Amino acid sequence: MSADAQMTRISRPLQIAAYAFAALVGLAFLYPYWWMLVSAFRSTRAIMDDPLRLLPETLDLSIFTEIASLGGVSLARYIANSLAITTASTVLSVVVTALGAYALTRKPQLPGFTALRYGFLVTIMYPYMLLVIPVYLVMFKLGLLGSYAGIVLFLALGPIQFFLFEQFFRKIPGEVIEAAIIDGANEAQILFRIVLPMASSITVTVALITFLLNWAQWFPVLVISKTPDTYTLPVALLSMNTELGANFQGIMALAVITTLPVAGLFLLAQKRVMAGMASGAVKG
Amino acid sequence: MTTTLETVWHNRIFYLFVLPFAVLTILFGVWPIVLSIMVSFTASATALRPNPTYVGFANYAAIFADPAFLASLLRTFLYTAVAVVVNIGFAFGMAVLIDSPLLRRGGLLLRLALFLPVVTPDVAGYVVWRWLYDRSFGAINALFDTVGLPAFAGLTTGPTAMISLLIAELWHHAGFYMLIFHANLAIRDRALEEAAHVDGATAWQRWRYVILPQLKPAFIINTVYALIQFLKTFTVVVVMTKGGPNEATNFVSYYAYQLFDQGRYGEATAMASVLFLIVIGVSLTIYRLGDREAAR
Amino acid sequence: MRFLKRIAAAAGIVMAGALPSAAQTLTVWHDLGDNGLKWFEAMSAEFAKQRPGVTVKSLSYPTDQWFGRVISALNTDSAPDLIYNNYERVIRIQDQTGKVSDLKPVLGKVTDKAFLTDDDLKVATYKDRQIIIPIQRVQMGFGVRKSWLDKVGETFPETWEDAKRVAGKFRDNDPDGNGKADTFGFALEAAKPRDLIHILDLFSFGTGLRHTLIDPAGNITIDEPRHAAVLEEFLKTYTSYKFVAPDTINHSFTEMYQVIEGGRGGMFRVGDWNVKKWDGEKVLNGDFVVGKWPKFAADETNYVVIGGMRGIAIPENAPNKALAQDFAQFMLSKAAQQASLDNIGAAVRGDLDVAALSPRSQYFAKAEAPLIAYDFPEAVHPFYPELEAAFHKKLLSGIAKPPADWKPFIAETAREMRELAAKLKAK
Repeated sequence: MSADAQMTRISRPLQIAAYAFAALVGLAFLYPYWWMLVSAFRSTRAIMDDPLRLLPETLDLSIFTEIASLGGVSLARYIANSLAITTASTVLSVVVTALGAYALTRKPQLPGFTALRYGFLVTIMYPYMLLVIPVYLVMFKLGLLGSYAGIVLFLALGPIQFFLFEQFFRKIPGEVIEAAIIDGANEAQILFRIVLPMASSITVTVALITFLLNWAQWFPVLVISKTPDTYTLPVALLSMNTELGANFQGIMALAVITTLPVAGLFLLAQKRVMAGMASGAVKG
Repeated sequence: MTTTLETVWHNRIFYLFVLPFAVLTILFGVWPIVLSIMVSFTASATALRPNPTYVGFANYAAIFADPAFLASLLRTFLYTAVAVVVNIGFAFGMAVLIDSPLLRRGGLLLRLALFLPVVTPDVAGYVVWRWLYDRSFGAINALFDTVGLPAFAGLTTGPTAMISLLIAELWHHAGFYMLIFHANLAIRDRALEEAAHVDGATAWQRWRYVILPQLKPAFIINTVYALIQFLKTFTVVVVMTKGGPNEATNFVSYYAYQLFDQGRYGEATAMASVLFLIVIGVSLTIYRLGDREAAR
Repeated sequence: MRFLKRIAAAAGIVMAGALPSAAQTLTVWHDLGDNGLKWFEAMSAEFAKQRPGVTVKSLSYPTDQWFGRVISALNTDSAPDLIYNNYERVIRIQDQTGKVSDLKPVLGKVTDKAFLTDDDLKVATYKDRQIIIPIQRVQMGFGVRKSWLDKVGETFPETWEDAKRVAGKFRDNDPDGNGKADTFGFALEAAKPRDLIHILDLFSFGTGLRHTLIDPAGNITIDEPRHAAVLEEFLKTYTSYKFVAPDTINHSFTEMYQVIEGGRGGMFRVGDWNVKKWDGEKVLNGDFVVGKWPKFAADETNYVVIGGMRGIAIPENAPNKALAQDFAQFMLSKAAQQASLDNIGAAVRGDLDVAALSPRSQYFAKAEAPLIAYDFPEAVHPFYPELEAAFHKKLLSGIAKPPADWKPFIAETAREMRELAAKLKAK
């Protein structure tokens, strides 16, 4: 650090400018959250009259009873859906992707493995919003339309989970595996007794990141659901236009409920999450 | 000499491990895409029937003859190009700032502020931005008004709508690219830099010859991610402009999505296939270019 | 012993007869939101009196999702029992799927239907198939903020000149008294092609013109003198007159309602389905007057416009088709129609109890003002949706970049529409 400091002449004014600029950018990025939060407590009329107000006139909590039921489904149900679907898909995603990435990195030359890997990578590049009809058809043929299972299964695949696990498994020294084989362990034992314990930290990271990303997913949930009963919070926010239309305060209140849990989770686990996300793309 | 079948049987445990992953990828990844491509070769009105009529490349011919699609394609390219440059530039600048000794404390706070929008549900974030931009009720114009600046047209005119979308998307995505740059900056070889400094290199020369080359992989990967992301720009249009004003933000993915509503499935999936090929093509090209240079 | 057995057997038979057939549920998909859900609940309760054990469950989707879901459902044989929406939307469903059943025989069995006019039935018929049973007439009128009129010293505008004067005052004279220049003369919408429909209909039909774009014979009407004059005023309202919020080009009905309910717009379209909400305390609290759309010339008549017709349709592959048909017939009954009026503010029957409604709702329900019906070109010309989309896109481009003189623009639009109509007809 001090080497850096020597190399860049640090002048006081420059440092102050840097801090000022950083503060400006940081606050600009955080302002939308503040606005969202404050607006949830102000009436639509008040928001329209004085958008810049930094604190709500009153802490009017009645809006939450107003949006307690949207489109015939209770808010509690939407929240429960978000929790259940996100958790289930996260668990499934971690398990499936870890196993898959392990197999693909241990024995990349096996017949069909390269094709599978490329197939997976290529599916990320397809414009997902245009898969409406095919996903609908596939779910229909599998009998999963409108079911939680369908949604959870669909959300279980994600690129970043795969990259993170792949990168981790690639870094396991070959000698560790070889030593285990010499000791007579079979593949299942190698995986469960040696590799997975090593992966406990990365697994937690992947789980956190997956949870954060899956919570925000709205498109698959919208397509696969048959009724609003299975909507998650982001979908409710998008779809309840006709209900909430001009109820601006209601929209913001719902946005707060949608954002607060993941924002909170992120802030608690920020070190892990940011380190994980970054490492997913450090040349590897 | 073992046959394929023997290899598979010998390694059956690995096939077992990869089975759930393969099943999910095929069922929900590959199969829908194949179906979609198949639909692009059918006549729209018959697409969902058990025995659709196949019309070869008629849909592809139709969309390339459609001036609205061509305009949409152009718009998408323009937006993507600008968005990628702006996002990467901004993210890089922020990463450098955070990493530099100028910002000894507060680096973490800035990183949090920049990354929080990445994990915020995009729908919620864009709903807020939509209202911040509103010409009559929005906070941005209220601020400009207080400070004496002219009103910002926000989402009401074509060019400003594109800018508004860009800013909102930057807010949502730049943090991710910044993180990657920052991580790569953090692991760079400072001994090299010191050596260069001792040799009398200026800051600019240090950057040009020592630091930036080490960041090449980060630039490549960020560019590929950003290209894939922005070519498919969709949610922000759904929430903020619905393709308007007057088609100004009607990018390919949204235009095709609208066609679904009109039941023009064949054309919509043809557009999707075209976009798909573009994304693959562009990503591969950048990746190859990068690899070739790295192997210099 | 045998005696007891006989009694038990008899009791069994009696119980079996008295028990309702296994509880059945009918599903309906609509886009009417919470009010619609309440309406169907009320009808379900009433229907259960005739058919014990039957429940009617309705689901509301935002309109654009409703389309996608209905089309997919009908095409994949996972259809609901009934669908409910505006006739032109059901027409599109029929075009996309071909699976909307013909309700002529079903309506034929209803005896109490004198209130359905020939026009109603014409609208409900598409390519010789009666695709809906009309259930609600969609009425639209002209709404003006009462307190604002008082503040600027005006009365309800009868002519278009009056309306323009009032719009200017609403914009300039701070009618809501908050000291800020944040009010607009009109609250309108212009985000997507179909957003223009109702407003254009009001401008045109409201002053007695019978067609907005094309007449039943297939002639384009927009450059006829009266039509062109109205169209020019329509376009100027969005542009040079500065009567609307600058954002209007991004506004669909949701945003338009936000402007109205947020107290920023002085004059606006009022649909019979809006009144209930806007009467609400937290909303406009009844502070608006409903009347006919202003007339363009003093010697014309102005009207409340019947902008559409909503009806119930039954998919060919409905799971409980016979029961669905019974329910469809039931929806024309007095009880069902009263529930419709109470919850949605619209119906087709004329003999309903309106006493409990607000004065503004009664204005529509009693149909005291002269009514003019939309010409329903979708039911006449199969190519109409595409033609209309092109027409609206052209108008929107004009609104986005207003020309100095509208007359050449209108002439050019008329020419383009004629060419397009000829091309589409030939297909």
